[in-house]
Amino acid sequence: MRSKKTMKAKTSRHLEALLFVAPWITGFLLFMAFPLGFSLYMSFHKVTVLPTGLKYDFQGFKYYSELLFGSSALYDNLIPFFQEIVIMVPIILVFSLFIAIMLNQDFPGRMLFRVVFFLPIIFTSGHILTEFVNQGEGTLGFLERFSIGEYLDQFLSDSSWAKPVKDVLNRFVLVLWYSGVQILIFLAGRQTISKSSYESARIDGATPWEVFWKITLPAMSPFILLNLIYTVVDMFTFPYNPVIELINTGNYGYNSALAWIYFVVIVLFLAILLLLFLRMNRSARSR
Amino acid sequence: MIGKVNTVKWKATQLKKRWARDGLHTVRYAVLGREVNRGLLFKLFIYWILLVTSYIYLNPIFKMLVKMVMNEKDLNDPTVTWIPHELYFGHLEKAWTALKYSQSLFVSIGISTLVALFHVVACGLMGYALARMQFPFKKLLMFLLVLAFIIPPQVIVLPMIIMYTKLGLQGKLFSLIIPSIFGFGIKGALFVIIFRQFYTTQPKELEEAAKIDGASAFKFYWKVMFPLAKPAILVVSLFSFVWTWNDTYYPRMFLGQSPLVPLATQMSRVDASISSMLASEEAPLVLVEAIKMSASFLSLLPPLLIFFFAQRYFVESVERTGLVE
Repeated sequence: MRSKKTMKAKTSRHLEALLFVAPWITGFLLFMAFPLGFSLYMSFHKVTVLPTGLKYDFQGFKYYSELLFGSSALYDNLIPFFQEIVIMVPIILVFSLFIAIMLNQDFPGRMLFRVVFFLPIIFTSGHILTEFVNQGEGTLGFLERFSIGEYLDQFLSDSSWAKPVKDVLNRFVLVLWYSGVQILIFLAGRQTISKSSYESARIDGATPWEVFWKITLPAMSPFILLNLIYTVVDMFTFPYNPVIELINTGNYGYNSALAWIYFVVIVLFLAILLLLFLRMNRSARSR
Repeated sequence: MIGKVNTVKWKATQLKKRWARDGLHTVRYAVLGREVNRGLLFKLFIYWILLVTSYIYLNPIFKMLVKMVMNEKDLNDPTVTWIPHELYFGHLEKAWTALKYSQSLFVSIGISTLVALFHVVACGLMGYALARMQFPFKKLLMFLLVLAFIIPPQVIVLPMIIMYTKLGLQGKLFSLIIPSIFGFGIKGALFVIIFRQFYTTQPKELEEAAKIDGASAFKFYWKVMFPLAKPAILVVSLFSFVWTWNDTYYPRMFLGQSPLVPLATQMSRVDASISSMLASEEAPLVLVEAIKMSASFLSLLPPLLIFFFAQRYFVESVERTGLVE
């Protein structure tokens, strides 16, 4: 009798929960699952637009093999883009962590600085950034002044890294502009570390340098992971990146295949990053 | 006698030494601080770093503001970098008409406000369920959420265009709003995560009290939990509003050549037409730049204003959302 009652209560609780998640699940089916499945379907078909509707002819892996082995267009865009990401992500993370720690210090006027550093959140997603870059506001003056470009040419001349490194340096300010949300996440994360652990470290005579490596950094590691994922996802989905410009509304089947390859690459990249991060974390902890 | 004098002398020098040492200490404390991060030197260092980076951040914005109000003579004059001889509003007027400002502004405000509103409601519900409720397949839903976060919009946009065309929504402004009703659209998954993080930090006793009162979960959510979530609501609505405002990708895909578009999209259209003007040498480069700057300024002004009014609460909210834990 009693168990029946609890059962009933349990089902009613589950039904209530269903009420909360139902809209999201509907949305997921409509705007994620269906389009994902449909684009996978299209990537195996030749899609022709007829006046009566769309016609699908099965093609198998034709577009995939064409993209992957037929031409080098994909690699030409993808590889430099990856190199840039590999350079930019650490810069963004270190910079935003640094600024967040600075902004967390107690000094007069820090509210003003926080406002300035949150501004990129408004600008970064916008068209305006490309505008700034086109105007040459993206470079730091010192690049030309010390002709660093020439040194780089000598230094990296034969490797494929010269161009991406130079590109990133040319858009260095842009890189800093990408760190708005990351600074915010680090700042929020820094608040979660309790003051008492800093105080006890101080009493034990730890230098601030040690405190940073032994307390701040380990406590921040989940936020670093979060920021890492956020930054990578943000870069991959940024509408002006070169690979995405390849995907347009022209040939539905071909573009779907391209989008899927891109998606798989992103997932793989994130998985590798995650693995590396976990391993680094574990080895740091066991030490 | 001599011994006494000596001891007095010795004491005096000892005292002097101590004063000197104490003085040195005070100076040292003032400059370096009792701990490194309390001293003058460190404060100066912080100010220096922050000022330099702020300058890097703000420089393009100031340039934009200044170029916008310079007349042609000043723009061509290399000696005028920061302070124009007179304020000239012709570029702003031109940008205003090119952007069809009153119309696009209205469209942008309408869409961004609605999207932000729907995001707050829908993502809040989902975030709450994930944070505080027990139900089967919760793990699966979390996984789907993460998936939704990392799926690039480019993968799903083509089928969505086909879907919208079938439904007769393609080219309609409404097509930009629908996903947000269900908690999708621009970075919808991120907003769910923010809400979830906020609700997990709330004390457990809240629900128990509601259970004793016999309130339904839905009523309890709207009456108690949702009003508590003000910091999360503020952060999500601001993000959602600004990102929707700035987005040009979805409008380009869904609206195509429709005449009624949001401000950011109109801005990129103006940009394209200006570039073609430049290519055919109808207008000099400096003038075009000034007009572009004016257009950028006009399209950014509303979110900027909102940010400046909301920033105080915003900064506090960010600290209280427990954004990630």
